[in-house]
Amino acid sequence: MTNEAIDYTQEPQITTIPVTSADIDVTIEAPLNRFPSRRWWIALGVTLSVLAFGLFAVTMIQLKGLGVAGFNQPVAWAFDVTNFVFWVGIGHAGTLISAILFLMRQRWRNAIARFAEAMTIFAVMCAGMFVTVTHLGRVWLMGYLFPYPNQHGLWINFNSPLVWDVFAVSTYFTVSFAFWYLGLIPDFGTLRDRAKYRYKKIIYSLLSLGWRFSNRHWTHYERLYLILAGFATPLVLSVHTIVSFDFAISILPGWHSTIFPPYFVAGAVFSGFAMVQNVLVLVRKMFKFEHIITIKHLENMNKVMLLTGSMVGYAYAMEFFMAWYSGSQFERFVFLNRALGPYAWAYWTMVSCNVIFVQGFWFKKIRTSVPVMFVIGILVNVGMWIERYVIIVTSLSRDFLPSSWGHFSPTLYDYGILSLGFGLFFTCVLLFVRFLPSVAMAELKSVVDGAQVKNH
Amino acid sequence: MSGQSSSTEYLNKPLPLITRSIGWGLLLLGAVCYVLGYLVDVRHAAFVHVVNFLFLTSIGVGALFLIALEYIAGAVWSVPMRRVNEFLAALIPIAALMGLLLFFHLHDLFPWVNAEAVAHDATLKMKEPYLNVNFFTLRFVVIFGLWTVFFYLFTRNSLKQDIDKDQKHTRFNIGLAAAFMPVFAIGLTVIAIDWAMSLEPLWYSTIYGVYYFSGIVLAGVAAATYIIVKLHEHGYFPQLRRDHFYSLGTLMFVFINFWAYIAFSQFLLVWYANMPEETYWFIDRWKNGWEYVSVLLIVVHFAVPYFMLLSQDSKMDLKRLKFISIWVLFAHMLDLYWLVMPSFSTSPVLSWMEMSFPLLTIGLVVVIFSWKMKRQNLIPLGDPKLGRGLEFRL
Amino acid sequence: MMQNPLYSITALFDLPDEIIHAADKTSKAGYTRYDVHSPYPVHGMDHAMRLNTSKIGYFAFAFGLLGALCAVTFISWVTISDYPLVIGGKPFWSWPAFVPVSFEVTVLFASVLSTLAMIVLYFKFPNNAHPLHDTHYMKQVSSDKFGLSIQAEDPKFDEKLIKEFLKTIGGKEITSIYFEPEELSHGQKLFDLKFIGVLLVVALTVSASTYFTLNKLMYMQPFNWMMVQNKLKAQQASGLFRDGIGMRPPVEGTVARGFIPYAFKGKPEDAGTYLVDPLLPTKEVLDRGKSKYLTFCSPCHGNFARGDSRLQGQFPNPPTLHSDKVRSWPDGRIYHVITEGQNAMPSYTPQISPENRWAIINYIRVLQRAQNAKESDLK
Repeated sequence: MTNEAIDYTQEPQITTIPVTSADIDVTIEAPLNRFPSRRWWIALGVTLSVLAFGLFAVTMIQLKGLGVAGFNQPVAWAFDVTNFVFWVGIGHAGTLISAILFLMRQRWRNAIARFAEAMTIFAVMCAGMFVTVTHLGRVWLMGYLFPYPNQHGLWINFNSPLVWDVFAVSTYFTVSFAFWYLGLIPDFGTLRDRAKYRYKKIIYSLLSLGWRFSNRHWTHYERLYLILAGFATPLVLSVHTIVSFDFAISILPGWHSTIFPPYFVAGAVFSGFAMVQNVLVLVRKMFKFEHIITIKHLENMNKVMLLTGSMVGYAYAMEFFMAWYSGSQFERFVFLNRALGPYAWAYWTMVSCNVIFVQGFWFKKIRTSVPVMFVIGILVNVGMWIERYVIIVTSLSRDFLPSSWGHFSPTLYDYGILSLGFGLFFTCVLLFVRFLPSVAMAELKSVVDGAQVKNH
Repeated sequence: MSGQSSSTEYLNKPLPLITRSIGWGLLLLGAVCYVLGYLVDVRHAAFVHVVNFLFLTSIGVGALFLIALEYIAGAVWSVPMRRVNEFLAALIPIAALMGLLLFFHLHDLFPWVNAEAVAHDATLKMKEPYLNVNFFTLRFVVIFGLWTVFFYLFTRNSLKQDIDKDQKHTRFNIGLAAAFMPVFAIGLTVIAIDWAMSLEPLWYSTIYGVYYFSGIVLAGVAAATYIIVKLHEHGYFPQLRRDHFYSLGTLMFVFINFWAYIAFSQFLLVWYANMPEETYWFIDRWKNGWEYVSVLLIVVHFAVPYFMLLSQDSKMDLKRLKFISIWVLFAHMLDLYWLVMPSFSTSPVLSWMEMSFPLLTIGLVVVIFSWKMKRQNLIPLGDPKLGRGLEFRL
Repeated sequence: MMQNPLYSITALFDLPDEIIHAADKTSKAGYTRYDVHSPYPVHGMDHAMRLNTSKIGYFAFAFGLLGALCAVTFISWVTISDYPLVIGGKPFWSWPAFVPVSFEVTVLFASVLSTLAMIVLYFKFPNNAHPLHDTHYMKQVSSDKFGLSIQAEDPKFDEKLIKEFLKTIGGKEITSIYFEPEELSHGQKLFDLKFIGVLLVVALTVSASTYFTLNKLMYMQPFNWMMVQNKLKAQQASGLFRDGIGMRPPVEGTVARGFIPYAFKGKPEDAGTYLVDPLLPTKEVLDRGKSKYLTFCSPCHGNFARGDSRLQGQFPNPPTLHSDKVRSWPDGRIYHVITEGQNAMPSYTPQISPENRWAIINYIRVLQRAQNAKESDLK
């Protein structure tokens, strides 16, 4: 990366070296055709072990009861809901990259959109699992969450944000999946035509639904893609807003704050981008995609992290100020308790990771240095996970009446819950890069140099 | 690049005399109404003055925000039209002057100015370190001061670039834009809290700043859109295409949705928790006639613009864009009225003061434009992204 | 092969500019049944092919509206009509709370249904039996070349002319594409055997799993754990107690909630002195007293309290209630008799609530007055 000044009269390059459509086919298809490397197998082994530990933990929780994890009164929500919010948040970055940047005509998004969307789907799957599997004492009754006619004559409680969550996360998953799959159809077509083995050809033919690359189809396809992107954008906002409603509709100090909806959305994008940046740093190195997923992409993601991190910082400041301004002793206490009480270690970790370290991205040198940005990304992930932990556990452990106060300590099974998410997510990511094209070939082809007509 | 040299002749074209005269006329009429208003009913005039002050600030600082946003996001479609926002941002120091006039009437507006009332109320006493006239004044001066500095720097660099065509001005402005954002965010939050929220000093909402922000951006976009479309129709921006207008329409559509989202979030959370210390603010806006204004606000600020700008074609239709821009500006005014006026009276008042004070704002905008267009290019000739901006396709 | 019918004639191009011009010229030449193939959408192609803008947006809007309508109607029906519950003190139709779900369902319907509509209706997918599949042409256009395909169905089709035309507009590798036999018979029928088969399989799987889950699985370990609970049910034996009976009488001295122990046990005179009729002889009280009297008292005491039992000798007749003795008893004394019983009459506390006893007493007074009416009563 050179330090020469940017010439603003020129369109920024999408790729660092010129690539043709044929190059893209060859490069992106390559990992799908060769037997995975030893590193991939080792990585898969690690993630599967983590996942196995998670499955063990949730099985034990179902057999013995929720008490084997640290749940108690008053802290009835801890690792389960923290992870739920964390993973839904991670999902939002994917949709932002694929839908919102598309609507903003930011063509650089094409190289990373496919990966981001896949991460969204996996993250939302993980999140859905947290509220159904880890959270419920009797998992097999999770069907009660859905409004089906039954002999009790009962319906779900439409007034409850937990029910809103059911609809929000299900819709988010379905629409993201539709959007992702829509993008995959032309790529499956290309893979079908390049398939060297019959079994692969059959699979890709089925998956491509018979896509013929006809322009009469592209017309409708493009239009629908735009419409889905247009729907996915408010969907992203609404899903994390509804997640924030889980807390904000209560009367608990530290939870009941009107800024929660946009604060959570900004936080979701913030943590999501950190995760996407981290994973892309690894993927581009492993598959040698550095000329397609360029430093510019990473730098742009870091800028988004700086922006959303600042929004999160703004929200912290607003909450803190209003707690004082309100004059309410309960509100004031919550914030003093966060900074100085038994969970102060969590609070200060959160503030350093989310507000302080990320400020490094003001400096171009840091924004464009891969090792440093990777570390900051990890710190942000840690910080954002802890932020949800701070919000949930500090407010629950010490609310209005001191006689109701209690303490939460995680047990082995809580760490099991944590492992379940990371295990499942990274296993899915590894499987994804092995079996599916991790860059959207058709989309990338449409934005490289020479792809479109200059004068029309 | 193509299109630049041939359009020089259009750029230094001043506004026609009739427009300038209308501008001055409205300005004077508005000023007279202000004076009359204060002579007739000081308290009422002061409240309407606050509404108008916040309205003027929204347009000015909204325009400045759009300029900063363009630099930071690296957008190209808005470059040919950026000068319009630079002119609108000149409203910031003027809004400051308008706000300064209000300092003669703080005791008519804010309950916490009254030392006796504060002494008798424990909660107000607790807020006293923030809600006192000295700190209030300091905040006002610092924020508008900083905003004026940013306005000056942005526009000076842009104008300098017209002459020397040096890309270093763009680079500087990008850095400036990044620095501006936190100043903007904190500044608008403080102004909203100070001038609107503290009219009800016992009530608070953490999202209030974001709410005002959504209105600010809408006001900036709407004002800019109307002016750009009007000027384009009269031949001042001949190279603009439907692609540019579509982007303006989309921006407005997005922020209509954003406003509705923030407004609804605030309402839902207060409604759901049902705590009397929070709900009274909304209940005050749901009785004695205010309920009609609240419903009108939803219809005018969300329902109508949403459906009018939903289809792709509508965002490119110039007539519709002009209509919706004025509509949205009116809707924002209504929004500020709904925020502020219930602290003045328990039932809504619509008098000649509410109708006439905004004339001052309109007059000011026209006068500023006529003044600036005589002296400055309407298109930022020296901007390196101008060529890409003019050629912008969706 | 000459037997296979011709589908189209195709040509390949290298650059997007070339294909745009080619499409433009093809439209100008008057061909309508033709298509352009590209590995990615080329901007400006719609205009060159004289295609109208896609109407899929209207579908999305309609589906969205449908979603909104379904959500709002369903939720309103559930909360107002089918099972109204007061939740959080809010009214039944708490519309702000319905907004999040309605919004999500709107987006869900709009997105998923338009995607399905496009894939199934517009594209008629899945369709892997199209003549262009598995051709060299398709392999090129799915990778990095652009293609033009003029179909035999076009009214102006003339094989030789088209080949010439394609050469003039710069097409390379001009080939004829023929139908394969299985592709001819392919049609998008709703009653396609494979499709019906898939539907059947899905329906069977879903019903079988639902049946199994709800009717069988719920009764298996560990899902049936809460069916076996360590609580004592009525009539159940229990080893905790020496006599093995699970149901225990209340402990000595226990008083049921709302129960006031009778203070005049064995003290009829005190009952007469201290107990006072709390009920006024209103029509409701007297009607109730009459109905309770007829139910509980008349079998022995007779319909008019004359002691003419309806039991006709199967049970000793009680004395008449119109005697001077009973008429001079205070109300509380009668209450005592009903409560404690007297001689052959058992206690009626299990059957008649205290309030009803007073109602009966009021009625008895009415009967007594009726049987011993004075001239003055008739006025």
